Amino acid sequence: MTSDQQIIEGCAKHDRKSQQLLYDKYSRFLLGVCLRYASDKAEAEDILQDSFLKIFFNIKDYSGTGSFIGWLRKVTVNTAITNYHKNLKYRYHIEIEEFVSVETGVESFEEDFFTADELYKVLNGLPAGYRMVFNLYAVEGYKHKEIAKMLGIDTNTSKSQYSRAKAVIRDKLEKLGKLKNRYSEDNN
Amino acid sequence: MKGKVEDKMLRDIFRQKLENTEVIPSPESGVRLMRQVGRKEFLRFNPSRFNIWYAGGIAVTGAALAIILASPVHKKSISDLLSSGTSEDKYSKMPDESQSAGKYFELEAQRPLKESGRIITNAARTNNTASAKKIQSANPASSLVPEGHIASINGKDIFNGGNSITENLRNQGLVTENMAAASVTEGCPPLKVSFSNIVANYDSCRWTFGDGGSSSEKNPEWLFDVPGEYTVTLSVFGTVNRHSSSSLTVIVHAAPRAMFEYSPDNAVLPSDEISFHNYSSDAVKFKWDFGDGSTSELFEPIHSYKKSGRFNLKLTVATEFGCSDSVIVKNAFSGSDNYIEFPNAFIPNLNGPSTGYYSSKSDEASQIFHPVSSIVSDYLLRIFSRRGILIFESNDINIGWDGYYKGHLCDPGVYIWKVRGNYLNGEPFTKMGDVTLIKN
Repeated sequence: MTSDQQIIEGCAKHDRKSQQLLYDKYSRFLLGVCLRYASDKAEAEDILQDSFLKIFFNIKDYSGTGSFIGWLRKVTVNTAITNYHKNLKYRYHIEIEEFVSVETGVESFEEDFFTADELYKVLNGLPAGYRMVFNLYAVEGYKHKEIAKMLGIDTNTSKSQYSRAKAVIRDKLEKLGKLKNRYSEDNN
Repeated sequence: MKGKVEDKMLRDIFRQKLENTEVIPSPESGVRLMRQVGRKEFLRFNPSRFNIWYAGGIAVTGAALAIILASPVHKKSISDLLSSGTSEDKYSKMPDESQSAGKYFELEAQRPLKESGRIITNAARTNNTASAKKIQSANPASSLVPEGHIASINGKDIFNGGNSITENLRNQGLVTENMAAASVTEGCPPLKVSFSNIVANYDSCRWTFGDGGSSSEKNPEWLFDVPGEYTVTLSVFGTVNRHSSSSLTVIVHAAPRAMFEYSPDNAVLPSDEISFHNYSSDAVKFKWDFGDGSTSELFEPIHSYKKSGRFNLKLTVATEFGCSDSVIVKNAFSGSDNYIEFPNAFIPNLNGPSTGYYSSKSDEASQIFHPVSSIVSDYLLRIFSRRGILIFESNDINIGWDGYYKGHLCDPGVYIWKVRGNYLNGEPFTKMGDVTLIKN
């Protein structure tokens, strides 16, 4: 098994074998990241490809001090943001139902209640703007100020997008939760 | 506080589940990537990684160069062979090359034959044309073709006789009859005229258009935008200092100008009679279109409308020569700037119902649903839910809807509004539409 260090050095020399190794080792993890930012798997794979091109040709920028996987992830997230900007003109529509979605009482869910697949579906179905902000804030853990800078929007926009994204997600999860509960009751 | 808990819960669900989830990419995705990497890598020049592509590329260019360099050598040797004529020894010495050389020889031998053939046909053709010319110029009837009326205004029949005219300019040097034609010779400004020079064989020509403009094109187009009479001259210069010219006249008629006003300015329809005042110039014919389907051809008509509204008025005027101009007044009688407009969405204040009083300053956040309008005298606004239940009513334009019904905030969604009333000048209005209540 080749270590990260060896792979990085190989990639810096544009060695095909090292590039293939890097892809084999990290593509699944990075596709998991991409899928959070995309509306479907095809788009996610496009982002993944662009990310790997960036990784291969800019691997010298990796300082070698921080975690390598963190760097890979950062490049991928940045690529997802670029992709979002590129496609922005095609997706400025926000469905009015999603816009005025009503929140009901607070229900809490067990963390393991939903599968990763279901959560991906929920994210994929979000309007692109909501998805970006939610991912960057909730999963990646950026601050609203940083997100605003990355996406070229106002800090308040980031905040309000986030709160609306939350409302939509909560709504979807609740519906999904009820469905699942009913399903398990029926089975019992 | 509640919000914070929820917030954390949602965040935890997604972060724990998805932060490190792996998704298996489709196999072709990896292949596609490596292909792209290869392409990018290839375009990136890097001497330290002298890969197979470069080697291949250099091999290919090298081969191409070798071929290019080799071919003149071949030719040279062939021409040597040809000039010397005695090359039996060389042939026998190089049996491999002899075959190809033989082929070259055949090709080379054929080429001069072909070329001479071409020369022969060319010569024949020049002879033919020369004789044809002679025949034509010998025929006095054909040389008399250019006559004044052929180059008529229409410019239609001009090109039929053209050939014989052109042939003769060369031979005789001078054509005094019309050589110029125009698509039109009179009309309204701006008048676009296409001129044609029907002489074909000459060295140069020059058009002067009588308005200071000139052109050396064969068939120029010219735009006359000032009324008047213009003499357009075409000068044709032939060989040996001979030249001739001919001219024609273009008449541009005066253009009229349409202009009008109506009174009273703040007319209330349909009660007021409208008087039209005609300030048009240079016109003899007038046509009014009142925008309600009726027209008039009087100089200054008076018109009564049968209903209120906005109308597009149009006056078209024409001169005796048919030159025309028109002027349109759009949305006339727009009720002395009477208007009432409603927004299509608002965001109620979540803190509780208000009195509904608003001003443009106090309602910057669009918390009250209200119109913007000119001054009204009577006013009744009603808002219904989608089921048709009346949930709000106001007869004061300064009181709008705060989004509450019986003290409770209404559900987000679409509501129907209907308004009726009168503007200050008595013109009535009725409007309806929908508004979306948004909960922030």
